[in-house]
Amino acid sequence: MPQNDLKIGVFVCECGTNIAGSVDVDTLVEEAKKMDSVVYTAKNRYMCSEPGQQEIKKAIEEQKLDRVVIAACSPRMHEPTFRECVSAVGLNPYLVDMANIREQCSWVHMEDREKATKKAKDIIKAYIARARYLEPQEEKEIPVTRATLVIGGGIAGMQASLDLADAGYQVFLVEKEPALGGIMAQLAKTYPTMDCAI
Amino acid sequence: MMDVGRHPNIKLLTCSQVESISGYVGNFHVRVHKKARYVVESECTACNDCVEVCPVIIPDEYQQGLSSRKAIYIPFPQAVPSAYLIDMNNCLGTNPIACGKCAEKCDKKCIDYDMKDEIIEFDVGTVIVATGMDVFDPTPLDEYGYGTYENVITSMEFERLLSAGGPSDGHFIRPTDRRKPKTVGFIQCVGSRCEQRGQPYCSNICCMNTIKDTLLLKDHYPDIEAKVFYIDMRAFGKGFEDLFKRSKEAGVQYIRGIPGEIIEDSKTRNLKILVEDTTANKMEEHEFEMMVLSVGVTPRLDMPEVQKLLTLSKTPDGFFMEAHPKLKPVDAPTSGVFFAGCAEAPKDVKDSVTQASAAAARAETLLAAGKVKLEAITSELNADLCRFCTICAQACPYKAITVDPKKKTISYIEALCKGCGTCGAECRFSAIKMKHFTDEQIVSQIDTYLEEDSYDKVIIFACNWCSYAGADTCGGARLQYPPSSRLIRTMCSGRVDEKFVLHAFRKGAPMVVVSGCHYVDCHYIDANRWTQKRVEKLWDKLERLGIRPERLLLEWISAAEGRRFAQTMQDIEELRKKVTKEEIEHTIKILTEEEEKERQKQEKLKK
Amino acid sequence: MEEKDFKCLRCGTISKFPYEKGVMMERQCLKCGSNSIRLVKEKKKEEKKKE
Repeated sequence: MPQNDLKIGVFVCECGTNIAGSVDVDTLVEEAKKMDSVVYTAKNRYMCSEPGQQEIKKAIEEQKLDRVVIAACSPRMHEPTFRECVSAVGLNPYLVDMANIREQCSWVHMEDREKATKKAKDIIKAYIARARYLEPQEEKEIPVTRATLVIGGGIAGMQASLDLADAGYQVFLVEKEPALGGIMAQLAKTYPTMDCAI
Repeated sequence: MMDVGRHPNIKLLTCSQVESISGYVGNFHVRVHKKARYVVESECTACNDCVEVCPVIIPDEYQQGLSSRKAIYIPFPQAVPSAYLIDMNNCLGTNPIACGKCAEKCDKKCIDYDMKDEIIEFDVGTVIVATGMDVFDPTPLDEYGYGTYENVITSMEFERLLSAGGPSDGHFIRPTDRRKPKTVGFIQCVGSRCEQRGQPYCSNICCMNTIKDTLLLKDHYPDIEAKVFYIDMRAFGKGFEDLFKRSKEAGVQYIRGIPGEIIEDSKTRNLKILVEDTTANKMEEHEFEMMVLSVGVTPRLDMPEVQKLLTLSKTPDGFFMEAHPKLKPVDAPTSGVFFAGCAEAPKDVKDSVTQASAAAARAETLLAAGKVKLEAITSELNADLCRFCTICAQACPYKAITVDPKKKTISYIEALCKGCGTCGAECRFSAIKMKHFTDEQIVSQIDTYLEEDSYDKVIIFACNWCSYAGADTCGGARLQYPPSSRLIRTMCSGRVDEKFVLHAFRKGAPMVVVSGCHYVDCHYIDANRWTQKRVEKLWDKLERLGIRPERLLLEWISAAEGRRFAQTMQDIEELRKKVTKEEIEHTIKILTEEEEKERQKQEKLKK
Repeated sequence: MEEKDFKCLRCGTISKFPYEKGVMMERQCLKCGSNSIRLVKEKKKEEKKKE
């Protein structure tokens, strides 16, 4: 079920002229305001810049925002940036979401401002709708046993074992045959050095 | 080898096979079956007394069967561990009355016929798979007469014949009359680059191996005439071209053309071939006293055993599949598992060593940190809704879902889940919740997109790694396409549930596109096969319901294919224009009725 | 391997592709490059003939 008593903040990035050049950012902000649970909206020339991030942090703290939608570039570009940004003021990093209005909108519909703006509006609204269902997620950590199993005692297995053993880790090297060496031990000489294989 | 044998941090288990590996990254539990050697490894001094008295004589595998060994033996003089072992399949002595000569002779009393196999168990955090390769056996290629004509040998046998520690003490002799041959021919690509006979791929090492072999031959015996028959000579590595030049300067002839067959002269035991020299465009006849088949490399026959242990996958060439062919070439798709050497693809010594060091470094990244962060976006089972159809366990590419048929329970190993969401899309009872990409989240996006003017919008499901990234690439290149597209990101196309597609049509979408990675690029091993299977089923379902299947498209678009993304969007816009408002309204009516029927069915089931 | 008729749902081209029951394969339309390649079912062919 969507949570109704949410406080969603929407931040629209102009990305210089990258977004503002082909999409009407003010319309986007106005449209976002009309959406349920949206209690705060803002635009910034560069949302990912230090002042842009400060604005987000300040709004989260002052407005007690519990969901954040950032309409900017691709999440593949800046999702880590904004996850870190909101975590810094105590919001779970999975409660921020990015609406991609640059790579998938302003940059690819540069000749039709009206339709590009309509599409950007749709994208923002869809991500605000989605934000109502976002839940905090936990990144669990588990311990790692400091030992390695190496299967195969040919040249590759031996080299990997030696590197790890030299670094101080316990290595278990399992070889099916009675001796190490694998195929390489059968070669008379090896190229390019033309030296002995054993 | 010596360094490995004496390193205090390496526990060397020879004659051993991994029996099972359980657990997950950072926490694997390993069971190893160590076969008995029947000689106490730590006591044996390799004095050779036992070998002298052993009455059994069998072919020596290390020497490619070109000489013999005893039933108690050491594989080769420099072997590590430097200890003898008894080949129990050939030993007469399990019953001391029958033989027992070696045990009598051994001063240190380290021979123990009653030695038992052992099971050794331990825990590790990472696993390196360095299982190597097999050498192609040319026996089935009867045109070359290997196995029939004794003077036709493989490149592996050639190595032994030319080795100082070989069966002829390094003297190069031909098998039939044990004298030095005057002429030797080499045939390249035996078992490689051939779809029908052998392997379709290039085995990578054979060209350079033959160049090396001809140089060795010319170094020892400048008077032997050597000719190499090839398709292409591939000398692409550092210092390789120099060796190729040296070989040609030493008088080795390289002839572009592969002989169709080898014919033996029954009197001289010489070998005749007919070959088309494709550089000179003429047929040539050649006669050799000996011929070497430059054999390729094949995946190991016992690969399926290792594959099963660690739920690995294979690429079409039969070698192990990497997590990503470019960006994660030493990582297996299973976390905490890495590849070194020929297990992943044919390689020479230098490349094997390079990859081994890379694998060690990748493993060390986890070992040094001492902890590993798990994927937060994973799936979750609601046991109350589960009807135990087990489709989720079949669909999981990582075997993170296990089924207990007796208790009728399904359990999750969270550490193995990578969050593709295929299980959630396959579950027909909504019993699986895919975190961060839940049904509600995705449906809310569809609803919002189609709230107004649905008829001029195309819904596109795009996977994070390829098609969504491809759309980003398209944007980066400013390639323009019609603004009708509305993208919905999922981690994998495997997440796209049948109900999302039907929901989009019910809400008035004229076109729906499901897009993901090409088969080779799938970031979740093979999850996108399930996507395709589902779309194929949906085409049938739509047709059955009277909805044109052409309105649902499946498109594989890689992260680099920005142009392909733009082209696809343009084509789809043309198709969208052909979908009339009447058709959309008709679809909405059909699917709304269908939804109602389904709802009533569910209610009946509940009662 | 056996070959069967497949129809590209994007451009309508019918072409032959390798087919093995139960085996998933990546198929791409030679004309438009789409992966929306649908198996032409035998039954449908017969029906079309009747029509």
